[in-house]
Amino acid sequence: MIGGLESLIGVGKTAATKLDFGATTAPAAGSKVGGAQASFAAALDAIATNTVSSLQQAEQMSAKALQGETDTRGVVDAVMSAEQSLQTAIAIRDKIVSAYLEVSRMAI
Amino acid sequence: MQPVNLFDLASQQARWLSVRQSAIAGNVANANTPGYAAMDVEPFEKVLKNTSVAMSATHSGHILASTSPARMTVETEQDGVAILPSKNSVSLEDQMLKAGEVGRSFELNTSIVKSFHRMFLMTAKP
Amino acid sequence: MDSLTTALKVAASGLEAQSQRVRVVSENLANAQSTGNTPGAEPYQRKTITFAAALDRASGGSFAEVAEISRDKSAYPLEFHPGHEAADANGMVRMPNVNMLVEMADMREANRSYEANLQVVKQARDLISMTIDLMRSQ
Repeated sequence: MIGGLESLIGVGKTAATKLDFGATTAPAAGSKVGGAQASFAAALDAIATNTVSSLQQAEQMSAKALQGETDTRGVVDAVMSAEQSLQTAIAIRDKIVSAYLEVSRMAI
Repeated sequence: MQPVNLFDLASQQARWLSVRQSAIAGNVANANTPGYAAMDVEPFEKVLKNTSVAMSATHSGHILASTSPARMTVETEQDGVAILPSKNSVSLEDQMLKAGEVGRSFELNTSIVKSFHRMFLMTAKP
Repeated sequence: MDSLTTALKVAASGLEAQSQRVRVVSENLANAQSTGNTPGAEPYQRKTITFAAALDRASGGSFAEVAEISRDKSAYPLEFHPGHEAADANGMVRMPNVNMLVEMADMREANRSYEANLQVVKQARDLISMTIDLMRSQ
């Protein structure tokens, strides 16, 4: 299940790198754009990793709870934070994809 | 221990909890029956081990009578989970406590399943 | 039959059994003073109820059922009521072998068991509800 989610989040990352590639061809303060590009990709990477790890954490806690361990609050917190980061990642992915589509539609 | 599939594990626990609920119902219904010994299910870990090995065919409702003539104790089976007798007669407080446990665990189980199902649907949406 | 439905039915059988018990106790209480009409006649004889467990092979549930409703064979107490229609030569009347305190205690026990069975019914019903709710979309 986590694998499936990873690949879906990967779509967002691919779209993001495509966008960044487009940005570097535009004439601008090169190093500044370069720096922004690096940190943007890094930020996306961090979000994706964070989401996957919080999902894994939630899955582990839930499995333990289902087998009888009773840290109820721990499970609930893990699942909620997984849902939060997942929702965030998906929102970002959607924004990136729509931005990419908009850029690709721009007349050159 | 990383589960193979969280939904499968939740399914199995729900099944086990349901059988336990039925055992508790039997105990409470027969609290005043002379000679009736309180029954409870085998532990969940055992159920998990059993399903990983191929289950030997046991006819549902398989009954074993104990050798003691005074007390008729029965072992039975529901949904692949064995229900075993204990040595004591039924204590209502004890049964209510166990029923509370079953209720809480079941609620947590369904909530976990609901959350992960929701997250799955979130990602699978266009 | 799935286990939760079995639990529901088993608990319902417990309710039925305890209701019978309450009925028997009520009869005893109502007839606690019922003597005979003629001198030396037999008064009301106390009723007792016995339960049995019925294991249903198909579902695996241990249902409760009433094995029998029989009579208490203990001796009738004698009371001195010389003018009573059931008074014998010595003015003693045979009274029902019903002890009010015992019956009241039994009634309380029956109520307690009934409540416990009711709790189990409610919980089984709630668990079934929770399961069906999984399918319901937000």
